[in-house]
Amino acid sequence: MSKVSVIIPTHNRPALLPQAVESARAAGTNVEIIVVDDASTDATAEVCRSLPDIRYVRVERNQGVAGARNIGIVSSSGEYVAFLDDDDLRLPGSLDLQAAALDGNPQAGFVCGAMIMADQNYQPTGEVVRPKPSSGDLFWELLELEFPVMPLCTLIRKECFPRIGLLNRHVSSIDDWDIFTRIAEVYPVVVIPEPVGLYRQPTPFSDQGSSARAFQLNRVARHQRNLLKLPRAADASPARRRAARKRMVNRISENLIWTAAAKYLPKLQLKPAFANLSVALKLDPLSIVRPGAYEKLAKNLMVKTGLIDRQRV
Amino acid sequence: MPRISVIITTHNRPARLPAAISSARNAADDVEIIVVDDASCDGTAAVCKSIPDIKYVRVDRNQAVAGARNIGLITSSGEYITFLDDDDVRLPNSLDEQIEVLAQHPQAAFVYGQAIPETENGEHGLGYPAVCPQGDIFWQLLTRNFIPCGSVVFRRSVVPAIGLLDDEIPRIDDWDFWVRIAELYPAVAIETPVIIWRQSLPASTQGSSNTVDIIAKSSRHFRRAFRNLPRFARASRRVQRRAWRDFSTNVAEHLAWELFSALRNAAFGNAFQSARTLLSLHPSGLMRLVRWMNTRTIGILIKSSIDSDNIAEAKAQFKRFRADMPRQ
Repeated sequence: MSKVSVIIPTHNRPALLPQAVESARAAGTNVEIIVVDDASTDATAEVCRSLPDIRYVRVERNQGVAGARNIGIVSSSGEYVAFLDDDDLRLPGSLDLQAAALDGNPQAGFVCGAMIMADQNYQPTGEVVRPKPSSGDLFWELLELEFPVMPLCTLIRKECFPRIGLLNRHVSSIDDWDIFTRIAEVYPVVVIPEPVGLYRQPTPFSDQGSSARAFQLNRVARHQRNLLKLPRAADASPARRRAARKRMVNRISENLIWTAAAKYLPKLQLKPAFANLSVALKLDPLSIVRPGAYEKLAKNLMVKTGLIDRQRV
Repeated sequence: MPRISVIITTHNRPARLPAAISSARNAADDVEIIVVDDASCDGTAAVCKSIPDIKYVRVDRNQAVAGARNIGLITSSGEYITFLDDDDVRLPNSLDEQIEVLAQHPQAAFVYGQAIPETENGEHGLGYPAVCPQGDIFWQLLTRNFIPCGSVVFRRSVVPAIGLLDDEIPRIDDWDFWVRIAELYPAVAIETPVIIWRQSLPASTQGSSNTVDIIAKSSRHFRRAFRNLPRFARASRRVQRRAWRDFSTNVAEHLAWELFSALRNAAFGNAFQSARTLLSLHPSGLMRLVRWMNTRTIGILIKSSIDSDNIAEAKAQFKRFRADMPRQ
């Protein structure tokens, strides 16, 4: 029985998959690699057959990422589970590092590390996303989206799933936030400062501008209402719940406004700018006059004009 | 590795659980029993601790039946899987018999059998379904769920292919699961009873808006999910229309029964709900109803209205009659 199961859901991306698989293999000493082929219609099956020593699970009816991850969990045998997207990479030794962290904290539900951002050709952009808080009970931080957890940076104790349930297929693309919040409700979280994964950014947003992010954040805000029904949040005082709601809504709308102002409007990308502003105003009508959004915008301008150093932001 | 895993989901019903567990143990030689305790807050945990040789999985956040079954799936290790409700009973050796049948049909994904309804006084009815279709049952299964959930033994290997149970559709998740399996794989059946359904209440005495609820949910699910299954989408318009017609006729029959029994119990709210669902289901639902109203059904209905004590029996008879209806 392997210690760690790496679950790689894939859909029609055979060119990138082998790299992800190899990075997972190099990331730990006792690793079981499960490729969940989510109803690919191209050469994915053949590519997987040529990869040695993986468990290939074919899904005939497309299940989406969360559904494919669940199928991976069903087929896995490891004590710990890691999710890896087919276009991301795990850093060498990172799984061993995180498994040791979970071994050392038998109470913890999952461990989260830092993430290196990279461009389309896996070249690091120099940006490293580090988890801000320290280890412990991070339920409210996750619920308020203060601490975004990427599946790429985490290693999860498989025991968690029977206690709190599997991933929710019906909140596609925010199923990760949903599951990590639900785990953090019951278990403490371990945070380590070391980078553990390399995140390949999807098609650059800067050229095209997309409204997708605004809509996704809108769904995040809507789904928070469901997460606020989790027993621990439901048992908290109404003031605590209201504060959690308000903090997240403010954070999202500020972010949307400053993105619109800093990225979309200068390039006259009116559609995404409009999407951002309308979602922000819908969530919080007063956000447009709050200083939070402009603080970040001002900082951004100062960085661009060279007034302050990037590292200080 | 055990041959078969029996996944028993339970929620706050420790009284009947031991009987279900011991019946599962007697149903197969090499069996792994998994009790998924879906956030019970009574003596369930204590009862389970006192039973040796089971895998007890405690769920802290209620997942509903489908979610709990999925959790059972991730903790199970058997080559074959079966679900059992905490108040149902497996018949002795029935699992071994079914495994043998399934082993003889390597293409088939699952084998099902009959269920015997048992009333509160311990009386047994006839096996349901009276006729068990076999082979490619996709289109028949779309018409109605004739498969007793606890009677199914399926191969673990089909789960990755079609996905886990859907926990967003409570009470029809099993139907959805069998349909998705039957879309890709043939099924086999044994026409002998394999489980006993224990009914806590004679279901028809309360004008159950529950049934109407399930029906409304089913027709929504048919339109949203089943119609998008690749096999349905690829079929000719004629076949698609027939599938919907069969389904809606069947549902209309159910609703008609609910309507009549609600009227008999003077539950006019429920009656109104049934009638509204019936009409919204299909504009010509009432016409269908008239066509379906043949002499036998009318006889049953009249009998039930004359003899008011007999309504439960009348419903059983009605169900039997519906189960016997020929299907192509």
